[in-house]
Amino acid sequence: MDEYEIRELCEKFFDAYENRRVDLLDGIYSDDCVIWHNVFGRETTRDENLAALPDSYKGQRRRTYNDRTINTFHDGFVIQYSLDGVQHTGHRGSLWICIVATCRDGKITRIDEYMDSSKFAAWAGRTSGGAS
Amino acid sequence: MRKDWQTLELCDRFFDSIEHNDYETLESCYAPEAVIWHSHDCLYQSRADNLAMLKAGMETLPKVRFKDRRIRVFEGGFVQQHTIYVTRANGFVGQMDVCFVGYVRDGMISRAYEYFDTGQIERFLG
Repeated sequence: MDEYEIRELCEKFFDAYENRRVDLLDGIYSDDCVIWHNVFGRETTRDENLAALPDSYKGQRRRTYNDRTINTFHDGFVIQYSLDGVQHTGHRGSLWICIVATCRDGKITRIDEYMDSSKFAAWAGRTSGGAS
Repeated sequence: MRKDWQTLELCDRFFDSIEHNDYETLESCYAPEAVIWHSHDCLYQSRADNLAMLKAGMETLPKVRFKDRRIRVFEGGFVQQHTIYVTRANGFVGQMDVCFVGYVRDGMISRAYEYFDTGQIERFLG
């Protein structure tokens, strides 16, 4: 994959996530794709990730993936972005996240996700401090 | 033309200098305008403040190691994923998974972003 294909795949991935298109995400993950989360310190499989998405989307009225800064390398990309959420209460919160991903044959084969779990409560509007 | 090896060498030199308590080399890795952003406060730290913080660590921490370094070079910078192990004075070894994105100008780091989970801070601080 060249730089442009990798960049396009990255945008497609985040657009699908934003638009809750689990059907599209299914085609973006390779069959052997694994997703590692720093906050859990473990990997999940593509199927575990896809199965968890519908319930995870129920938590917010809207999520947008903004301020996307994408840089590509020979077999993948690193993206820095803000995840802006609107809760059902109307509370708005942001998380600042970095993902390093590898790609092959037009699909994502691995994702390493870095975020700060101490910001989750503020993001969800459960506290008055932290991220807003 | 991009010279990946130069960026890789800078990345290694930067993290090695912290491990080896080599402040002079560390300082030379930062461009004069360098700023460092951290995910826990989402603020840019000045070059001087960051260097002072790292120098204090060199003077007080018995050992710092960056293990499982995975480096990728992109146009204008690099991303390194690693686990930092810090041996504290009481013998506790703290650890933290970190993603460090460095933007490079003229062979120096001009801007850096560091992502980690302070929700697991007790694993790091003890």
